Amino acid sequence: MEKVALVGYKQTKHTFESPVARERIIYELVKSLYKDMGITKDDIDTFILASNDFTDGRTISEVFTVPRIGAYMKDETKVEADGLNAALYAYMRILSGLYNTALVIGFSMSGSEFRVPLTQAYTMDPAYERPRALINYYSAAALQAGAYMKKYRFTEEDLAALTVKNLENANNNPYSARKEPDASVDKVLGSKLLYTPIRQAHVSAYADGACAVVLSSKKMARKFTDKPVWIDGVGHLMDTYYIGDRDLLKMDSLAGAAKKAYKMAGIKNPRKEIDLAELHTNFASEEPVFTEAMGLFKPGSAKDVVKNGESRIGGSIPVNPSGGPLGANPVNATGLIRLAEASAQLRKEAGKNQIKGAKTAVVHAQDGPGAQSNTVFVIRR
Amino acid sequence: MTQETRTIESTWDLTAYQFKIEADALNLFIKGTKDKKILGRKCHQCGTVYVPGPTYCRKCLIDIDQVVEVSQEGVLDAFTVNLADVRGIPVENPFITCTVKLDGSDSFLMGTLEGWTEWHSVREGMRVKVVWKDTTSGALADLSHFQLI
Ligand SMILES: [Zn+2]
Repeated sequence: MEKVALVGYKQTKHTFESPVARERIIYELVKSLYKDMGITKDDIDTFILASNDFTDGRTISEVFTVPRIGAYMKDETKVEADGLNAALYAYMRILSGLYNTALVIGFSMSGSEFRVPLTQAYTMDPAYERPRALINYYSAAALQAGAYMKKYRFTEEDLAALTVKNLENANNNPYSARKEPDASVDKVLGSKLLYTPIRQAHVSAYADGACAVVLSSKKMARKFTDKPVWIDGVGHLMDTYYIGDRDLLKMDSLAGAAKKAYKMAGIKNPRKEIDLAELHTNFASEEPVFTEAMGLFKPGSAKDVVKNGESRIGGSIPVNPSGGPLGANPVNATGLIRLAEASAQLRKEAGKNQIKGAKTAVVHAQDGPGAQSNTVFVIRR
Repeated sequence: MTQETRTIESTWDLTAYQFKIEADALNLFIKGTKDKKILGRKCHQCGTVYVPGPTYCRKCLIDIDQVVEVSQEGVLDAFTVNLADVRGIPVENPFITCTVKLDGSDSFLMGTLEGWTEWHSVREGMRVKVVWKDTTSGALADLSHFQLI
């Protein structure tokens, strides 16, 4: 089968309130990515935007953004989901043989304009969940967190330590919106309780920002870079929307998506073969559940993983060495940023957070309440 | 096949949104209308004149900052006679909405057309001119309408 490579990536310095409109954010980002790569918009065969009318606050939201990335009068599509799903779509378009190159971009104003909890409340199930306002994205994650912590005796202190690990990584990431140099277990434990056991400190940093990547067919990849990152495995699965039909701890859709991606990439033992993971966690409490569903750590082992620093930089499988969405969560760009950050690791461009000798990474994105839909990539250098 | 359905009453609170837009094109345009001028921006690379004029050229993907004033006369490009409202109910006083290409501009301005008595006689390609409100305030409504010459 034809192979597809990531040949360029760039993200903005994410903020809680961008001084410019989203059109300017993506215009500047894409232009500077083209410049870094020494290409023009004419080198791109297909343009794919990740955006969601709901979270962008206007219908057919890409009509305003398409001209800003050089896609005027070009082949262009929108994927109404996280940017990693847009990358999956770009990957498939290249595999079709009709396109050699694709620009993928995700962007968000969820730091300043799109009030995440307010808008997401309207996406809940209209028959059972919405009328009684019983559940939202926060409380769905809280149900999952509570179930995990109770079953595996993962304490509030353990969760706080895991949060601090991510905040420390975010402090060393120049693109993070959230910087907490004085992050500590005590500080996390003292932060406001929102939905037990979830505290404000566990919540990802909803931010304004964008991320763009360029994917290429194998035959063109070397024209763009001598450091291509190969997409060797992909998987995408969706669980039922109604939360009552799901086992929140088993995360069947994530486990299945990871299994598919590993199989495609020829990975038999993810614990041995994966060097790092970049996961789309909207809450710190999702990290143990996700990593275990993906076979990166043993079920119920989070207490030891945290204690032994296995998910830290330098541990057996560093998880979110970039700080992950706890450092910046520009909704719709967040999963695509995971791909960019993991690619930076494999290309030895991750600065202070660089993991030595990283060759294989797993990348994840989610959509929907309680991570209903999950996408997994395995990438290699 | 028939199926039983039911309707669930719900609300949609649109105050959840604030919206930041790029202001440059609109700001320049209404700065012009206040002085009864039509202003836009010209791309120094491909020569396209945009009215209203954004600060970048969508064809070249470059920043542009050359402000140009275009003519207040131009050509009627397309028009429609509004005989009904959006629900299909006939209106008492039909009016014409149109697009106009002002001389020196590569884009089209939209507005209403006056200076006709029988709409069957209006034709694309007719010359028109801008008519201003007596007092202008720096708003889109400063441009009252287009008038057949
Ligand atoms: Zn131009």
